[in-house]
Amino acid sequence: MKKPSSYKHSITSGFIVFIIGFWCLFPLAWMFITSIKPLGTEYRIPVEYWPSQPTLDNYRTVLGERFTIQRSLLNSAVVSTGAVLGTLLLSSLSAYGISRLRFKFRTASLYIMQIAGMIPPIVIIAPTFVLMRSLGLLRTYWAMIIPNMVYALPLSSFLIASYFANVPFEIEDAAKIDGAGTLRTLFRIVLPIAAPGIFSAGVLAFLGSWGEFMLANTVSIGSAAVETVPVAILSFSRAFDLQWAWVAAGTMVSILPVLLAVIVFQRVIVSGLSAGSLK
Amino acid sequence: MISNKIETRTGMVLVLPAVLGLVIFNYYPIVQSFVYSFFDLEFTTDWLNAPFIGFRNYAVVMASDQFWYTFLFTAGFTLVAVTLDLSLGMAFALATFYVPGKMRGLLRAIIIVPWAIPKVIQASMWRWMLNTDVGPIGDVLVRIGLVSEPPLFLMDRYLAMGSVVAAYTWKGASIAAFFLMGGLALIPREVTESAIVDGANAVRRFFSITLPIIMPTVFVALLYRSQDALRVFDVVYTLTGGGPGNSTDTLSSFAYNAYFRFAQFGRASTYAVVTFILVALVGTFYISRVRRNFSFRE
Repeated sequence: MKKPSSYKHSITSGFIVFIIGFWCLFPLAWMFITSIKPLGTEYRIPVEYWPSQPTLDNYRTVLGERFTIQRSLLNSAVVSTGAVLGTLLLSSLSAYGISRLRFKFRTASLYIMQIAGMIPPIVIIAPTFVLMRSLGLLRTYWAMIIPNMVYALPLSSFLIASYFANVPFEIEDAAKIDGAGTLRTLFRIVLPIAAPGIFSAGVLAFLGSWGEFMLANTVSIGSAAVETVPVAILSFSRAFDLQWAWVAAGTMVSILPVLLAVIVFQRVIVSGLSAGSLK
Repeated sequence: MISNKIETRTGMVLVLPAVLGLVIFNYYPIVQSFVYSFFDLEFTTDWLNAPFIGFRNYAVVMASDQFWYTFLFTAGFTLVAVTLDLSLGMAFALATFYVPGKMRGLLRAIIIVPWAIPKVIQASMWRWMLNTDVGPIGDVLVRIGLVSEPPLFLMDRYLAMGSVVAAYTWKGASIAAFFLMGGLALIPREVTESAIVDGANAVRRFFSITLPIIMPTVFVALLYRSQDALRVFDVVYTLTGGGPGNSTDTLSSFAYNAYFRFAQFGRASTYAVVTFILVALVGTFYISRVRRNFSFRE
Protein backbone atom coordinates (compact mmCIF):
# COMPACT_ATOMS: atom_id res chain seq x y z
CA MET A 1 0.00 0.00 0.00
CA LYS A 2 1.11 3.51 -0.70
CA LYS A 3 2.02 5.33 2.46
CA PRO A 4 -0.01 8.52 2.48
CA SER A 5 0.77 11.05 5.16
CA SER A 6 -0.07 9.19 8.35
CA TYR A 7 -2.54 11.88 9.45
CA LYS A 8 -4.61 11.60 6.29
CA HIS A 9 -4.31 7.83 6.43
CA SER A 10 -5.75 7.65 9.96
CA ILE A 11 -8.65 9.91 9.03
CA THR A 12 -9.65 7.80 5.99
CA SER A 13 -9.09 4.61 7.98
CA GLY A 14 -11.31 5.86 10.78
CA PHE A 15 -13.96 6.77 8.25
CA ILE A 16 -13.78 3.32 6.62
CA VAL A 17 -14.04 1.55 9.97
CA PHE A 18 -17.05 3.71 10.83
CA ILE A 19 -18.88 2.93 7.58
CA ILE A 20 -18.27 -0.82 7.76
CA GLY A 21 -19.05 -0.79 11.47
CA PHE A 22 -22.33 0.94 10.79
CA TRP A 23 -23.37 -1.63 8.19
CA CYS A 24 -22.34 -4.63 10.30
CA LEU A 25 -23.47 -3.42 13.70
CA PHE A 26 -26.53 -1.25 13.12
CA PRO A 27 -29.08 -4.10 12.97
CA LEU A 28 -27.71 -5.32 16.29
CA ALA A 29 -27.63 -1.84 17.80
CA TRP A 30 -31.22 -1.25 16.75
CA MET A 31 -32.27 -4.52 18.41
CA PHE A 32 -30.48 -3.39 21.57
CA ILE A 33 -32.08 0.06 21.54
CA THR A 34 -35.50 -1.52 21.08
CA SER A 35 -34.82 -3.95 23.90
CA ILE A 36 -34.35 -1.13 26.44
CA LYS A 37 -37.51 0.75 25.45
CA PRO A 38 -40.39 0.49 27.93
CA LEU A 39 -42.89 -2.01 26.54
CA GLY A 40 -45.37 -0.24 24.25
CA THR A 41 -43.10 2.67 23.39
CA GLU A 42 -41.33 0.67 20.66
CA TYR A 43 -44.33 1.32 18.42
CA ARG A 44 -44.51 5.03 19.22
CA ILE A 45 -44.41 7.45 16.29
CA PRO A 46 -42.19 9.39 15.60
CA VAL A 47 -39.45 6.82 15.88
CA GLU A 48 -37.35 7.17 19.04
CA TYR A 49 -33.66 6.66 18.34
CA TRP A 50 -32.90 6.48 22.01
CA PRO A 51 -35.56 5.70 24.61
CA SER A 52 -36.53 8.64 26.83
CA GLN A 53 -36.69 6.21 29.76
CA PRO A 54 -34.32 3.29 29.16
CA THR A 55 -35.26 0.18 31.12
CA LEU A 56 -34.14 -3.39 31.68
CA ASP A 57 -37.71 -4.55 32.36
CA ASN A 58 -37.93 -6.42 29.06
CA TYR A 59 -34.91 -8.50 30.02
CA ARG A 60 -36.49 -9.32 33.37
CA THR A 61 -39.67 -10.34 31.59
CA VAL A 62 -38.14 -12.58 28.94
CA LEU A 63 -35.84 -14.26 31.44
CA GLY A 64 -38.85 -14.94 33.67
CA GLU A 65 -40.79 -18.15 33.91
CA ARG A 66 -43.32 -17.42 31.17
CA PHE A 67 -40.65 -17.62 28.49
CA THR A 68 -38.27 -20.28 27.29
CA ILE A 69 -35.20 -18.35 26.18
CA GLN A 70 -32.88 -20.06 28.67
CA ARG A 71 -34.35 -23.41 27.73
CA SER A 72 -33.63 -22.79 24.03
CA LEU A 73 -30.08 -21.71 24.85
CA LEU A 74 -29.59 -24.92 26.78
CA ASN A 75 -31.12 -26.96 23.93
CA SER A 76 -28.86 -25.31 21.38
CA ALA A 77 -25.83 -25.88 23.59
CA VAL A 78 -26.63 -29.57 23.98
CA VAL A 79 -27.33 -30.09 20.27
CA SER A 80 -24.30 -28.15 19.05
CA THR A 81 -21.89 -29.65 21.58
CA GLY A 82 -23.06 -33.16 20.79
CA ALA A 83 -22.81 -32.57 17.06
CA VAL A 84 -19.33 -31.03 17.35
CA LEU A 85 -17.89 -33.85 19.47
CA GLY A 86 -19.26 -36.46 17.11
CA THR A 87 -18.11 -34.68 14.00
CA LEU A 88 -14.58 -34.08 15.33
CA LEU A 89 -14.15 -37.74 16.16
CA LEU A 90 -15.51 -39.04 12.86
CA SER A 91 -13.78 -36.47 10.71
CA SER A 92 -10.40 -36.95 12.43
CA LEU A 93 -10.60 -40.67 11.72
CA SER A 94 -11.73 -40.29 8.13
CA ALA A 95 -9.37 -37.42 7.32
CA TYR A 96 -6.50 -39.46 8.63
CA GLY A 97 -7.57 -42.51 6.66
CA ILE A 98 -7.97 -40.58 3.43
CA SER A 99 -4.88 -38.42 3.63
CA ARG A 100 -2.42 -40.88 5.18
CA LEU A 101 -3.36 -44.44 4.32
CA ARG A 102 -3.34 -45.99 0.87
CA PHE A 103 -6.42 -48.07 0.24
CA LYS A 104 -8.77 -48.96 -2.55
CA PHE A 105 -11.76 -46.77 -1.84
CA ARG A 106 -9.77 -43.76 -0.77
CA THR A 107 -10.67 -41.48 -3.67
CA ALA A 108 -14.25 -42.70 -3.63
CA SER A 109 -14.53 -41.88 0.10
CA LEU A 110 -13.11 -38.44 -0.54
CA TYR A 111 -15.73 -37.72 -3.19
CA ILE A 112 -18.52 -39.13 -1.05
CA MET A 113 -17.51 -36.74 1.71
CA GLN A 114 -16.95 -33.62 -0.34
CA ILE A 115 -20.00 -33.93 -2.59
CA ALA A 116 -22.16 -34.28 0.51
CA GLY A 117 -21.07 -30.82 1.59
CA MET A 118 -23.00 -29.25 -1.27
CA ILE A 119 -26.36 -30.92 -0.82
CA PRO A 120 -29.16 -28.35 -0.37
CA PRO A 121 -31.08 -28.98 2.86
CA ILE A 122 -34.43 -28.86 1.08
CA VAL A 123 -33.74 -32.00 -0.94
CA ILE A 124 -33.12 -34.10 2.17
CA ILE A 125 -35.49 -32.54 4.71
CA ALA A 126 -38.66 -34.53 4.04
CA PRO A 127 -37.05 -37.99 3.96
CA THR A 128 -35.01 -37.07 7.04
CA PHE A 129 -38.22 -36.10 8.81
CA VAL A 130 -39.81 -39.41 7.81
CA LEU A 131 -36.70 -41.30 8.94
CA MET A 132 -36.72 -39.57 12.34
CA ARG A 133 -40.42 -40.27 12.70
CA SER A 134 -39.99 -43.96 12.02
CA LEU A 135 -37.07 -44.09 14.48
CA GLY A 136 -39.32 -42.43 17.05
CA LEU A 137 -36.82 -39.58 17.46
CA LEU A 138 -39.06 -36.60 16.68
CA ARG A 139 -39.01 -33.97 19.43
CA THR A 140 -35.69 -35.33 20.78
CA TYR A 141 -32.17 -33.94 20.79
CA TRP A 142 -30.97 -36.95 18.80
CA ALA A 143 -33.01 -35.88 15.77
CA MET A 144 -30.83 -32.77 15.62
CA ILE A 145 -27.51 -33.98 17.02
CA ILE A 146 -26.97 -36.86 14.60
CA PRO A 147 -27.82 -35.05 11.34
CA ASN A 148 -25.93 -31.91 12.37
CA MET A 149 -22.95 -34.07 13.19
CA VAL A 150 -23.13 -35.56 9.70
CA TYR A 151 -23.73 -32.20 7.96
CA ALA A 152 -20.51 -30.83 9.48
CA LEU A 153 -18.35 -33.76 8.35
CA PRO A 154 -17.33 -32.54 4.87
CA LEU A 155 -16.02 -29.16 5.99
CA SER A 156 -14.39 -30.39 9.17
CA SER A 157 -12.66 -33.38 7.58
CA PHE A 158 -11.38 -31.06 4.87
CA LEU A 159 -10.00 -28.60 7.42
CA ILE A 160 -8.49 -31.28 9.60
CA ALA A 161 -6.86 -32.98 6.60
CA SER A 162 -5.28 -29.70 5.57
CA TYR A 163 -3.61 -29.56 8.99
CA PHE A 164 -2.56 -33.22 8.78
CA ALA A 165 -0.61 -32.18 5.71
CA ASN A 166 1.79 -30.33 8.04
CA VAL A 167 2.70 -33.50 9.91
CA PRO A 168 5.88 -35.00 8.38
CA PHE A 169 5.51 -38.62 7.31
CA GLU A 170 8.83 -39.38 9.01
CA ILE A 171 7.43 -38.67 12.49
CA GLU A 172 4.62 -41.09 11.82
CA ASP A 173 6.84 -43.75 10.35
CA ALA A 174 9.16 -43.47 13.33
CA ALA A 175 6.24 -44.01 15.68
CA LYS A 176 5.18 -47.05 13.70
CA ILE A 177 8.67 -48.53 13.76
CA ASP A 178 8.58 -48.08 17.53
CA GLY A 179 5.56 -50.36 17.44
CA ALA A 180 2.70 -47.88 17.76
CA GLY A 181 -0.48 -48.95 15.94
CA THR A 182 -2.42 -46.73 13.57
CA LEU A 183 -4.85 -45.44 16.18
CA ARG A 184 -2.09 -44.82 18.68
CA THR A 185 -0.09 -42.90 16.07
CA LEU A 186 -3.16 -40.88 15.20
CA PHE A 187 -4.13 -39.96 18.75
CA ARG A 188 -0.66 -39.56 20.26
CA ILE A 189 1.33 -38.05 17.40
CA VAL A 190 -0.79 -36.66 14.58
CA LEU A 191 -3.82 -35.21 16.38
CA PRO A 192 -1.81 -33.12 18.86
CA ILE A 193 0.11 -31.52 15.98
CA ALA A 194 -3.13 -30.83 14.10
CA ALA A 195 -4.84 -29.43 17.22
CA PRO A 196 -5.31 -25.88 15.86
CA GLY A 197 -7.07 -27.26 12.81
CA ILE A 198 -9.28 -29.47 14.92
CA PHE A 199 -10.17 -26.53 17.10
CA SER A 200 -11.13 -24.30 14.20
CA ALA A 201 -13.10 -27.14 12.59
CA GLY A 202 -14.90 -27.50 15.91
CA VAL A 203 -15.73 -23.80 16.09
CA LEU A 204 -17.10 -23.78 12.54
CA ALA A 205 -19.12 -26.95 13.13
CA PHE A 206 -20.51 -25.43 16.31
CA LEU A 207 -21.60 -22.27 14.51
CA GLY A 208 -23.19 -24.25 11.70
CA SER A 209 -25.18 -26.37 14.08
CA TRP A 210 -26.06 -23.40 16.30
CA GLY A 211 -27.64 -21.51 13.41
CA GLU A 212 -29.24 -24.51 11.69
CA PHE A 213 -32.95 -23.85 11.28
CA MET A 214 -34.74 -26.00 8.72
CA LEU A 215 -34.12 -29.35 10.39
CA ALA A 216 -34.54 -28.03 13.94
CA ASN A 217 -37.84 -26.41 12.99
CA THR A 218 -39.07 -29.57 11.30
CA VAL A 219 -38.20 -32.17 13.92
CA SER A 220 -39.01 -30.13 17.05
CA ILE A 221 -42.63 -29.56 15.90
CA GLY A 222 -43.45 -26.86 18.40
CA SER A 223 -42.01 -28.63 21.43
CA ALA A 224 -40.36 -25.95 23.59
CA ALA A 225 -38.50 -28.69 25.46
CA VAL A 226 -36.18 -29.29 22.49
CA GLU A 227 -36.48 -26.07 20.43
CA THR A 228 -33.12 -24.55 19.57
CA VAL A 229 -32.43 -20.80 19.57
CA PRO A 230 -33.36 -20.01 15.93
CA VAL A 231 -36.63 -21.94 16.17
CA ALA A 232 -37.53 -20.42 19.52
CA ILE A 233 -36.74 -16.86 18.45
CA LEU A 234 -38.83 -17.20 15.30
CA SER A 235 -41.87 -18.52 17.15
CA PHE A 236 -41.31 -15.94 19.89
CA SER A 237 -41.26 -13.11 17.36
CA ARG A 238 -44.42 -14.42 15.70
CA ALA A 239 -46.28 -14.79 19.00
CA PHE A 240 -45.26 -11.37 20.34
CA ASP A 241 -45.29 -9.28 17.20
CA LEU A 242 -46.97 -6.49 19.18
CA GLN A 243 -44.50 -6.69 22.08
CA TRP A 244 -41.38 -6.29 20.02
CA ALA A 245 -39.43 -4.88 22.95
CA TRP A 246 -39.68 -8.37 24.45
CA VAL A 247 -38.64 -9.99 21.20
CA ALA A 248 -35.67 -7.64 21.04
CA ALA A 249 -34.59 -8.45 24.59
CA GLY A 250 -35.00 -12.17 23.93
CA THR A 251 -32.97 -11.87 20.75
CA MET A 252 -30.16 -10.02 22.52
CA VAL A 253 -29.99 -12.65 25.27
CA SER A 254 -29.98 -15.50 22.77
CA ILE A 255 -27.22 -14.19 20.53
CA LEU A 256 -24.89 -12.85 23.20
CA PRO A 257 -23.02 -16.03 24.22
CA VAL A 258 -22.08 -17.06 20.71
CA LEU A 259 -21.37 -13.51 19.64
CA LEU A 260 -18.82 -13.12 22.42
CA ALA A 261 -17.29 -16.50 21.67
CA VAL A 262 -16.91 -15.66 17.99
CA ILE A 263 -15.20 -12.38 18.71
CA VAL A 264 -12.84 -14.12 21.14
CA PHE A 265 -12.05 -16.95 18.69
CA GLN A 266 -11.91 -14.61 15.71
CA ARG A 267 -8.33 -15.47 14.83
CA VAL A 268 -8.95 -19.23 14.88
CA ILE A 269 -12.04 -18.93 12.70
CA VAL A 270 -10.24 -16.76 10.19
CA SER A 271 -7.27 -19.09 9.91
CA GLY A 272 -9.59 -22.08 9.58
CA LEU A 273 -11.48 -20.43 6.76
CA SER A 274 -8.42 -19.43 4.88
CA ALA A 275 -7.14 -22.99 5.10
CA GLY A 276 -10.41 -24.07 3.56
CA SER A 277 -10.58 -21.49 0.83
CA LEU A 278 -7.02 -20.96 -0.28
CA LYS A 279 -5.68 -24.13 -1.67
CA MET B 1 6.19 -51.63 7.62
CA ILE B 2 2.64 -52.77 7.58
CA SER B 3 1.38 -54.80 4.70
CA ASN B 4 -1.00 -53.36 2.15
CA LYS B 5 -3.80 -55.61 3.23
CA ILE B 6 -3.76 -54.27 6.76
CA GLU B 7 -3.44 -50.73 5.51
CA THR B 8 -6.49 -51.19 3.31
CA ARG B 9 -8.51 -52.67 6.11
CA THR B 10 -7.48 -49.94 8.56
CA GLY B 11 -8.24 -47.21 6.04
CA MET B 12 -11.69 -48.55 5.38
CA VAL B 13 -12.46 -48.92 9.06
CA LEU B 14 -11.39 -45.31 9.66
CA VAL B 15 -13.59 -43.81 6.95
CA LEU B 16 -16.51 -46.18 7.49
CA PRO B 17 -18.32 -44.31 10.32
CA ALA B 18 -18.23 -41.00 8.43
CA VAL B 19 -19.25 -42.54 5.12
CA LEU B 20 -22.04 -44.48 6.78
CA GLY B 21 -23.39 -41.30 8.39
CA LEU B 22 -23.30 -39.46 5.08
CA VAL B 23 -25.04 -42.31 3.29
CA ILE B 24 -27.84 -42.45 5.85
CA PHE B 25 -28.39 -38.73 6.35
CA ASN B 26 -27.37 -37.24 2.99
CA TYR B 27 -27.43 -39.76 0.16
CA TYR B 28 -30.34 -41.95 1.15
CA PRO B 29 -32.62 -38.89 1.63
CA ILE B 30 -31.66 -37.55 -1.81
CA VAL B 31 -32.55 -40.82 -3.47
CA GLN B 32 -35.77 -40.88 -1.46
CA SER B 33 -36.65 -37.35 -2.64
CA PHE B 34 -36.14 -38.43 -6.25
CA VAL B 35 -38.39 -41.42 -5.58
CA TYR B 36 -41.09 -39.22 -3.98
CA SER B 37 -41.08 -36.98 -7.03
CA PHE B 38 -42.29 -39.88 -9.22
CA PHE B 39 -45.29 -40.70 -7.05
CA ASP B 40 -48.63 -39.10 -6.39
CA LEU B 41 -48.08 -38.28 -2.72
CA GLU B 42 -50.46 -36.02 -0.85
CA PHE B 43 -50.79 -36.16 2.93
CA THR B 44 -48.61 -39.26 2.96
CA THR B 45 -45.05 -40.29 2.26
CA ASP B 46 -45.97 -43.95 1.96
CA TRP B 47 -44.82 -44.19 -1.63
CA LEU B 48 -44.92 -47.98 -1.66
CA ASN B 49 -48.72 -47.76 -1.57
CA ALA B 50 -49.06 -44.65 -3.71
CA PRO B 51 -49.71 -44.53 -7.46
CA PHE B 52 -46.53 -44.27 -9.57
CA ILE B 53 -47.04 -41.40 -12.00
CA GLY B 54 -43.68 -41.20 -13.75
CA PHE B 55 -42.81 -37.67 -14.75
CA ARG B 56 -46.30 -36.28 -14.24
CA ASN B 57 -45.27 -34.19 -11.20
CA TYR B 58 -42.53 -32.68 -13.32
CA ALA B 59 -44.92 -32.08 -16.22
CA VAL B 60 -47.44 -30.34 -13.95
CA VAL B 61 -44.74 -28.26 -12.27
CA MET B 62 -43.04 -27.30 -15.53
CA ALA B 63 -46.39 -26.21 -16.95
CA SER B 64 -47.11 -23.92 -14.00
CA ASP B 65 -46.25 -20.22 -14.08
CA GLN B 66 -45.51 -20.39 -10.37
CA PHE B 67 -42.61 -22.76 -10.93
CA TRP B 68 -40.98 -20.64 -13.62
CA TYR B 69 -41.50 -17.49 -11.60
CA THR B 70 -39.89 -19.11 -8.53
CA PHE B 71 -37.11 -20.57 -10.66
CA LEU B 72 -36.31 -17.21 -12.23
CA PHE B 73 -36.56 -15.40 -8.92
CA THR B 74 -34.12 -17.85 -7.34
CA ALA B 75 -31.71 -17.46 -10.26
CA GLY B 76 -32.03 -13.66 -10.30
CA PHE B 77 -31.67 -13.50 -6.53
CA THR B 78 -28.51 -15.57 -6.75
CA LEU B 79 -27.04 -13.36 -9.45
CA VAL B 80 -27.71 -10.11 -7.61
CA ALA B 81 -26.96 -11.34 -4.10
CA VAL B 82 -23.70 -13.05 -5.03
CA THR B 83 -22.51 -10.01 -6.98
CA LEU B 84 -23.21 -7.82 -3.96
CA ASP B 85 -21.69 -10.34 -1.53
CA LEU B 86 -18.45 -10.46 -3.47
CA SER B 87 -18.22 -6.72 -4.21
CA LEU B 88 -18.91 -5.67 -0.63
CA GLY B 89 -16.81 -8.54 0.67
CA MET B 90 -13.92 -7.43 -1.51
CA ALA B 91 -14.26 -3.87 -0.26
CA PHE B 92 -14.27 -5.09 3.36
CA ALA B 93 -11.29 -7.36 2.78
CA LEU B 94 -9.27 -4.61 1.10
CA ALA B 95 -10.19 -2.28 3.96
CA THR B 96 -8.67 -4.63 6.52
CA PHE B 97 -5.38 -4.36 4.65
CA TYR B 98 -5.64 -0.61 4.19
CA VAL B 99 -6.22 0.43 7.80
CA PRO B 100 -3.21 0.67 10.11
CA GLY B 101 -2.31 -2.39 12.19
CA LYS B 102 -3.92 -1.04 15.36
CA MET B 103 -7.34 -0.89 13.73
CA ARG B 104 -7.06 -4.18 11.84
CA GLY B 105 -8.13 -6.42 14.73
CA LEU B 106 -11.06 -4.15 15.51
CA LEU B 107 -12.21 -4.09 11.90
CA ARG B 108 -12.02 -7.88 11.63
CA ALA B 109 -13.98 -8.26 14.85
CA ILE B 110 -16.64 -5.92 13.43
CA ILE B 111 -16.86 -7.77 10.13
CA ILE B 112 -17.21 -11.15 11.82
CA VAL B 113 -20.25 -10.08 13.86
CA PRO B 114 -22.92 -10.77 11.19
CA TRP B 115 -21.41 -14.21 10.85
CA ALA B 116 -22.10 -15.09 14.46
CA ILE B 117 -25.80 -14.34 14.10
CA PRO B 118 -28.04 -17.25 13.07
CA LYS B 119 -29.77 -16.57 9.74
CA VAL B 120 -33.22 -16.62 11.26
CA ILE B 121 -32.24 -13.94 13.76
CA GLN B 122 -30.49 -11.96 11.03
CA ALA B 123 -33.75 -11.92 9.04
CA SER B 124 -35.80 -11.08 12.11
CA MET B 125 -33.54 -8.08 12.83
CA TRP B 126 -34.01 -6.83 9.29
CA ARG B 127 -37.74 -7.38 9.50
CA TRP B 128 -37.83 -5.04 12.49
CA MET B 129 -35.60 -2.44 10.79
CA LEU B 130 -37.82 -2.51 7.70
CA ASN B 131 -41.01 -2.04 9.71
CA THR B 132 -43.04 0.57 7.88
CA ASP B 133 -44.31 2.47 10.93
CA VAL B 134 -41.34 2.47 13.29
CA GLY B 135 -38.44 1.13 11.24
CA PRO B 136 -35.36 3.37 11.12
CA ILE B 137 -34.77 2.79 7.40
CA GLY B 138 -38.16 4.11 6.27
CA ASP B 139 -37.95 6.90 8.82
CA VAL B 140 -34.58 8.11 7.57
CA LEU B 141 -35.76 7.99 3.94
CA VAL B 142 -38.68 10.23 4.91
CA ARG B 143 -36.49 12.60 6.94
CA ILE B 144 -34.00 13.16 4.15
CA GLY B 145 -36.91 13.83 1.86
CA LEU B 146 -36.42 10.91 -0.52
CA VAL B 147 -40.00 9.71 -0.05
CA SER B 148 -43.05 11.34 1.49
CA GLU B 149 -44.22 8.27 3.38
CA PRO B 150 -42.27 5.28 4.71
CA PRO B 151 -42.20 2.62 1.96
CA LEU B 152 -44.06 -0.67 2.45
CA PHE B 153 -40.84 -2.64 2.30
CA LEU B 154 -42.33 -6.09 2.79
CA MET B 155 -45.72 -5.48 1.16
CA ASP B 156 -44.58 -4.21 -2.21
CA ARG B 157 -43.32 -6.92 -4.51
CA TYR B 158 -40.13 -5.24 -5.74
CA LEU B 159 -39.26 -3.67 -2.41
CA ALA B 160 -39.71 -7.06 -0.77
CA MET B 161 -37.25 -8.57 -3.28
CA GLY B 162 -34.76 -5.81 -2.51
CA SER B 163 -35.28 -6.35 1.22
CA VAL B 164 -34.52 -10.06 0.92
CA VAL B 165 -31.33 -9.29 -0.99
CA ALA B 166 -30.23 -6.65 1.55
CA ALA B 167 -30.89 -8.86 4.55
CA TYR B 168 -29.13 -11.79 2.89
CA THR B 169 -26.11 -9.73 1.83
CA TRP B 170 -25.66 -8.39 5.35
CA LYS B 171 -24.19 -11.74 6.31
CA GLY B 172 -23.01 -12.84 2.85
CA ALA B 173 -20.65 -9.88 2.49
CA SER B 174 -18.92 -10.78 5.75
CA ILE B 175 -18.51 -14.41 4.72
CA ALA B 176 -17.10 -13.40 1.33
CA ALA B 177 -14.80 -10.89 3.04
CA PHE B 178 -13.14 -13.57 5.15
CA PHE B 179 -12.63 -15.80 2.14
CA LEU B 180 -11.01 -12.95 0.22
CA MET B 181 -8.85 -11.80 3.14
CA GLY B 182 -7.17 -15.19 3.01
CA GLY B 183 -6.34 -14.65 -0.66
CA LEU B 184 -5.14 -11.08 -0.17
CA ALA B 185 -2.81 -12.17 2.62
CA LEU B 186 -0.86 -14.26 0.13
CA ILE B 187 0.08 -11.39 -2.17
CA PRO B 188 3.80 -10.72 -1.72
CA ARG B 189 4.49 -7.21 -0.56
CA GLU B 190 7.21 -6.73 -3.19
CA VAL B 191 4.66 -7.11 -5.99
CA THR B 192 2.54 -4.24 -4.73
CA GLU B 193 5.53 -2.10 -3.89
CA SER B 194 7.10 -2.41 -7.30
CA ALA B 195 3.79 -1.42 -8.87
CA ILE B 196 3.75 1.69 -6.71
CA VAL B 197 7.26 2.52 -7.83
CA ASP B 198 6.08 2.12 -11.42
CA GLY B 199 3.47 4.75 -10.66
CA ALA B 200 0.32 2.61 -10.97
CA ASN B 201 -2.62 4.15 -9.12
CA ALA B 202 -4.77 2.21 -6.63
CA VAL B 203 -7.56 1.30 -9.07
CA ARG B 204 -5.11 0.12 -11.68
CA ARG B 205 -3.13 -1.84 -9.11
CA PHE B 206 -6.31 -3.59 -8.01
CA PHE B 207 -7.42 -4.62 -11.48
CA SER B 208 -4.09 -5.49 -13.02
CA ILE B 209 -2.23 -6.96 -10.05
CA THR B 210 -4.35 -7.81 -7.01
CA LEU B 211 -7.38 -9.26 -8.77
CA PRO B 212 -5.50 -11.57 -11.15
CA ILE B 213 -3.43 -12.94 -8.26
CA ILE B 214 -6.39 -13.71 -6.03
CA MET B 215 -8.66 -14.91 -8.85
CA PRO B 216 -8.56 -18.53 -7.59
CA THR B 217 -9.84 -17.38 -4.19
CA VAL B 218 -12.48 -15.20 -5.83
CA PHE B 219 -13.56 -18.21 -7.84
CA VAL B 220 -13.92 -20.40 -4.74
CA ALA B 221 -15.84 -17.65 -2.95
CA LEU B 222 -18.07 -17.29 -6.01
CA LEU B 223 -18.89 -21.00 -6.10
CA TYR B 224 -19.44 -21.16 -2.38
CA ARG B 225 -21.72 -18.12 -2.27
CA SER B 226 -23.65 -19.19 -5.39
CA GLN B 227 -24.44 -22.55 -3.88
CA ASP B 228 -25.59 -20.88 -0.69
CA ALA B 229 -27.77 -18.39 -2.57
CA LEU B 230 -29.37 -21.01 -4.81
CA ARG B 231 -30.59 -22.93 -1.77
CA VAL B 232 -31.54 -19.84 0.28
CA PHE B 233 -34.31 -20.60 2.74
CA ASP B 234 -34.01 -19.19 6.26
CA VAL B 235 -33.86 -15.51 5.32
CA VAL B 236 -36.85 -15.72 2.95
CA TYR B 237 -38.91 -17.86 5.31
CA THR B 238 -38.38 -15.45 8.20
CA LEU B 239 -38.32 -12.07 6.47
CA THR B 240 -41.16 -12.26 3.96
CA GLY B 241 -42.47 -15.81 4.26
CA GLY B 242 -42.25 -15.78 0.45
CA GLY B 243 -44.69 -12.86 0.27
CA PRO B 244 -46.33 -10.70 -0.78
CA GLY B 245 -48.24 -13.51 -2.46
CA ASN B 246 -45.49 -15.86 -3.63
CA SER B 247 -43.35 -13.11 -5.11
CA THR B 248 -40.23 -13.69 -3.00
CA ASP B 249 -40.54 -17.45 -2.73
CA THR B 250 -37.39 -19.31 -3.71
CA LEU B 251 -37.32 -22.94 -4.81
CA SER B 252 -36.43 -23.97 -1.26
CA SER B 253 -39.01 -21.88 0.58
CA PHE B 254 -41.75 -22.83 -1.88
CA ALA B 255 -40.88 -26.50 -1.52
CA TYR B 256 -40.77 -26.26 2.26
CA ASN B 257 -44.32 -24.92 2.42
CA ALA B 258 -45.48 -27.48 -0.12
CA TYR B 259 -44.01 -30.20 2.10
CA PHE B 260 -44.93 -29.15 5.56
CA ARG B 261 -47.89 -26.82 5.15
CA PHE B 262 -49.73 -28.43 2.24
CA ALA B 263 -48.30 -31.96 2.58
CA GLN B 264 -47.85 -32.30 -1.19
CA PHE B 265 -44.83 -34.52 -0.86
CA GLY B 266 -44.65 -35.57 -4.51
CA ARG B 267 -45.01 -32.06 -5.93
CA ALA B 268 -42.66 -30.50 -3.38
CA SER B 269 -40.01 -33.08 -4.16
CA THR B 270 -39.85 -31.91 -7.77
CA TYR B 271 -38.96 -28.40 -6.55
CA ALA B 272 -36.38 -29.88 -4.19
CA VAL B 273 -34.89 -31.99 -6.98
CA VAL B 274 -34.62 -28.96 -9.25
CA THR B 275 -32.82 -27.05 -6.47
CA PHE B 276 -30.46 -29.97 -6.10
CA ILE B 277 -29.71 -30.05 -9.82
CA LEU B 278 -28.96 -26.32 -9.91
CA VAL B 279 -26.61 -26.54 -6.94
CA ALA B 280 -25.00 -29.66 -8.37
CA LEU B 281 -24.31 -27.86 -11.66
CA VAL B 282 -22.39 -25.19 -9.80
CA GLY B 283 -20.85 -27.94 -7.70
CA THR B 284 -19.25 -29.73 -10.64
CA PHE B 285 -16.82 -26.82 -10.91
CA TYR B 286 -15.99 -27.22 -7.26
CA ILE B 287 -15.65 -30.98 -7.32
CA SER B 288 -13.08 -30.83 -10.09
CA ARG B 289 -10.87 -29.04 -7.56
CA VAL B 290 -11.43 -31.39 -4.65
CA ARG B 291 -8.77 -33.95 -5.39
CA ARG B 292 -6.20 -31.25 -6.00
CA ASN B 293 -7.06 -29.55 -2.71
CA PHE B 294 -6.77 -32.61 -0.54
CA SER B 295 -3.33 -33.62 0.61
CA PHE B 296 -2.57 -37.28 0.02
CA ARG B 297 0.13 -39.74 0.79
CA GLU B 298 0.80 -40.93 -2.74
